[in-house]
Amino acid sequence: MSALLEVVGLRKRYKDIVAVDGLGFAVHEGETYGLLGPNGAGKTTAISMIVGVLDADAGEIRVAGRAPDLATRAMVGYVPQQLALYPDLTARQNLRFFSGMYGMRRAQARTRIAEVLELIGLSDRADHAVATYSGGMSRRLNIGVGLLHRPRLLVMDEPTAGVDPQSRTSILDSVQRLTGEGLAVLYTTHYMEEAERLCDRVGIVDHGRMLTEGTPSELGDPDLESTFLRLTGRALRD
Amino acid sequence: MKVLLIAQVGLLRLARDRTNVFFVLLAPFLLILVLGQLFGGQDGLRLGVVAAQGQLADRLVTALGSGTRVTVTRAADEAALRTAVERGEVHAGLVLPASYDASLAAGRTAAVRYLIRRTDLRSHDVGTWVRSVVRQESARVLGVSPTATVTVSTAGRAVFPEGLSAFAISAPPLLLLFTFLTSLTAALGLVETRALGVSRRVHASPTRVGTVIAGEALGRVAIALAQGALIMAGSALLFGVDWGDPFGAVATLLAFSLVGAGAAMLLGASFKTPGPPISLAMILGLGLSALGGGTVPLESFDPTLRTIAHLTPHAWGYDAFAQLVRHDAGFVDVLPQLGVLTGLALVLFALGTWRLRRALT
Repeated sequence: MSALLEVVGLRKRYKDIVAVDGLGFAVHEGETYGLLGPNGAGKTTAISMIVGVLDADAGEIRVAGRAPDLATRAMVGYVPQQLALYPDLTARQNLRFFSGMYGMRRAQARTRIAEVLELIGLSDRADHAVATYSGGMSRRLNIGVGLLHRPRLLVMDEPTAGVDPQSRTSILDSVQRLTGEGLAVLYTTHYMEEAERLCDRVGIVDHGRMLTEGTPSELGDPDLESTFLRLTGRALRD
Repeated sequence: MKVLLIAQVGLLRLARDRTNVFFVLLAPFLLILVLGQLFGGQDGLRLGVVAAQGQLADRLVTALGSGTRVTVTRAADEAALRTAVERGEVHAGLVLPASYDASLAAGRTAAVRYLIRRTDLRSHDVGTWVRSVVRQESARVLGVSPTATVTVSTAGRAVFPEGLSAFAISAPPLLLLFTFLTSLTAALGLVETRALGVSRRVHASPTRVGTVIAGEALGRVAIALAQGALIMAGSALLFGVDWGDPFGAVATLLAFSLVGAGAAMLLGASFKTPGPPISLAMILGLGLSALGGGTVPLESFDPTLRTIAHLTPHAWGYDAFAQLVRHDAGFVDVLPQLGVLTGLALVLFALGTWRLRRALT
């Protein structure tokens, strides 16, 4: 398999704090790669650099073999940890807005929006304001925006944070279905059972560095959580 | 296309906020109505008179009270009349000398004195009526005493020309107030877009930062223009306000909207959370308007305060609209004001663009 995303020696410093320190990994086509780490490990900073909203101090990012530019951004879908939606607009209006940002034509967007609404189970609430949605519905819409333009790589930053078990199950099912269709997924989470269920490979990071990398079964001795705690420690993080 | 879409979302979000139905659609017209009443409206006019007993004096006082709009009340003496004028109990006072009858009967001139409060705009209305009646009375007296002459003269240009609608006085400063205030409060949308993470998400899409900035700028201008145009058209239809030369009026609205939009860009790009900018928007929106002639006409300011007032864009907008609405000025006549407003808008947009680019990248 060819690497759809390659990250080599990525580094980012905020004054005295090194948030990402020489991070490197690759995500292949059709693969789900889990980036695991405690709070403050540098996962979100790394993702911000990968999707292009933050400049790296050093290192290299390549998407489909190309240095990041506007064209590679069109290949990447971004599902941020924060619900990046307009709460006073409807789901359809939000999707229409972001379809425009990805340069989709009106007719093409109309069809695709209907498909995405169906996929995330919000067709019947498409014309209600997002502010009226439950946490799970908003999370699903947040993912729907990331899928709208049929990306080759979906970058998901803790997409199930704060949702009920039903919505989490629905989100995980959707991700599994999408990877089955050939989509590559870079996935960060705190939930080890999610990583074990979804990810083909995982990388455990802390203090901006890659501590270990492998398949969940390779790292799961006796289970992934034990390995995670052994490598990152039991001290509480901010 | 993307620029239009970003601008369109800004307008859509403004329209979906139900509180804006009051603040953007209703409040401006309610205030035009209230201030219009304050400046004139439909209430009757009150004139106080001090006059000694006498056939001719009585005839003049009776004539002054013969109209339907002016109610005449007699004051005991000039001091009482002056107090009544100062307190606003009457809109103006007229003092006939004790020798009024005797002077006219002897063929001499009798000078009457007219007392007003400078800030009472309705005194100009009463003055028109008083001059008219005194002129008529003088003509009658001339028939009795051929040696008497009457001279009516006006020095300089009237600040508020005769016949000017009270709403034509109240509407322009309120257009400036609401256009600026709505622009600044709508800047909250820009803060929210960043706080919600939407701008970050847009930045991750194949959309250039310059496109986002252009879209946000266009959205700010559209909001300011929509508010201003609504007041301009609504006040013309509802209150019969004549905004004067259409080119001059539209150019002034456009230039002032650009100032409001530029200020909104700067405000919206300078804060990460909505609390501080909304407070600042209210303080700036109301404060600059008050200083720039929004509550009390600039003409009643002393020269020093007028100079200070012209540090605000509102004062330049006020001057431009005063020329257009009251004095039949044209586009060319308000070019100096348009130049200042456009220059100010360019500075604010440059600062706002710089701040927004830093915030987005």
